[in-house]
Amino acid sequence: MTKRLLQGNQAIALAAVKAGLNFFAGYPITPASEILHELVTKKTVKVLQMEDEIASVNTIIGASLAGAKSMTATSGPGFSLMQESIGHAHMMEIPLVIVNVQRVGPSTGMPTFPAQGDIMQCKYGSHGDYFPIVFYPNSVAELYEFTFNAFNAAEESLSPVILLSDSYVGHLYETIEEADYPISKRTLAPLGTSNRHFTGLTHEDSMPVTSDPEVHKKLIKHLETKQKKVSRKYNDYEYIENKSSDILLITYGALSRAVYGLKEDFAIYRPVRIFPIVDKLKDIAKKHKEIIVMEMNTGQYANEVERLLHREVKHVSIMGGKIDLNEIWTKLRRIKKKI
Amino acid sequence: MTKELTYLNYLKQERLPHQWCPGCGNGIILKLSCLAMEKLNFPKKGTVMVSGIGCSGRSAGFFDLDSVHTAHGRALPVAEGIKLANEELNVMIISGDGDLFGIGGNHLLHASRRNTDITVICISNAIYGMTGGQCSPTTEISSKTLTTPRGNADTPVNVQAIVTAHNCFYARSTTFHFNHAMKCIFEALQHKGFSFVEIKSQCITNDGRRRGFKNSYEMLMSYKDNYKINNSSNKLEHNEIGIIK
Repeated sequence: MTKRLLQGNQAIALAAVKAGLNFFAGYPITPASEILHELVTKKTVKVLQMEDEIASVNTIIGASLAGAKSMTATSGPGFSLMQESIGHAHMMEIPLVIVNVQRVGPSTGMPTFPAQGDIMQCKYGSHGDYFPIVFYPNSVAELYEFTFNAFNAAEESLSPVILLSDSYVGHLYETIEEADYPISKRTLAPLGTSNRHFTGLTHEDSMPVTSDPEVHKKLIKHLETKQKKVSRKYNDYEYIENKSSDILLITYGALSRAVYGLKEDFAIYRPVRIFPIVDKLKDIAKKHKEIIVMEMNTGQYANEVERLLHREVKHVSIMGGKIDLNEIWTKLRRIKKKI
Repeated sequence: MTKELTYLNYLKQERLPHQWCPGCGNGIILKLSCLAMEKLNFPKKGTVMVSGIGCSGRSAGFFDLDSVHTAHGRALPVAEGIKLANEELNVMIISGDGDLFGIGGNHLLHASRRNTDITVICISNAIYGMTGGQCSPTTEISSKTLTTPRGNADTPVNVQAIVTAHNCFYARSTTFHFNHAMKCIFEALQHKGFSFVEIKSQCITNDGRRRGFKNSYEMLMSYKDNYKINNSSNKLEHNEIGIIK
């Protein structure tokens, strides 16, 4: 194993190549462009710079159907443009990896500053019901490792898997070990080998059935079951116990790196597979009287945690892309007084 | 089975009859595509059909090939992805004018620029038929539709100019000129690089009847009267059909 100093975005690109990436289509966007820059130098990957993110995601849908392991990378604005086709890929069951290096939104926001505003967009961004697998690592080494996991989960679930990052972790330089991880093989036969019909319409045996509610219920149940089954292989989270504190801080991504500094005073839980939510959180939460979710948005994951635990969850939001331990402490103290 | 009927080999016969309205041009273009593929001996395995959304978007599902029914307007990037990931495949698109020039217009501009080796057959009926008959990007000036009750005020999109601006193959024909249309598809499929065949087609249900046509036959006859074959020029006039390589 070799040690290397890598940037977060670069680590995703290198790991993707090792995980068998054949095809990449993307559109330049801060702070995700370095992934595109790194991949154009690789001889084993066909790289296309498309006219927009809609074209990017649709091109990799086509490439994946034709048998290539495919990926695209973007940030919030591009991710919004991709949403319709992400739902389409869920419906057609196409393995894809979509990297979203988050920046401050909504809209153009603060392009170079980190945020965690796309949590809901990952899960509910497209119309209809679908059940995405989403990973959100918080270091360069973890980005490298979870790029493999994202590709494997995509192949196993035949669905688009989201690899979340943010402009902080994406632009961070750290020394990592370039390890090799097991790679899941493609199970979907490539186009041009049969007479299947891939459609976004409700379908049964690859034929459209648009007026039978039972067929639709069966299809959505199938998608849900499949995603849950595959996600169980990736129950990734980090739990730092603290017997002297009955408060559990839940945090992830860039912000969690600052929150590590509070481990003397609080227990910390950090999900890496953020969706579907890791069930283990229910058991961990039972050990704590108070739960505070800290995130760089106005409470997107807090709502999901509350929904899972059926109990009140307090919330600290760090907005505007600046991660400041003083601000975190002040906000926590304010909550602690109420506790 | 007689020799003339072998085009059925390219169709999923268990799905026939198709669900399009009586008098629709889509069935004609389905048959034309099969005949052109048959003439070229396209292997069923190794050929992929892609379509967008709309009445024409349902075409792909009728072919006895691997086929993809993409999101609205996205047939071009999906087809490009397929072709570039496996260059041995024959990749064809059948889609409508609303899909290819309206919601997917940007992709047409860039797919022709990239000159990817795919063939696009556009069923150009100048109307959004599936949604009830709204004005489309190819609707003629002053034509009355559901959304232009006082007549369309905008110029129809100049597809010829877009496609030929990047020196790609462009052909125009109509559903009346059956043999000519087949020749267009036949040559487009042989063309290396991006090829685009625009076939003017009739929608009696949601277009023709609002414009005073009694039936589909009258619409076909209007193609006969209005369009002249041009074999020599490298630019087609508004009322001409032909091939520009």
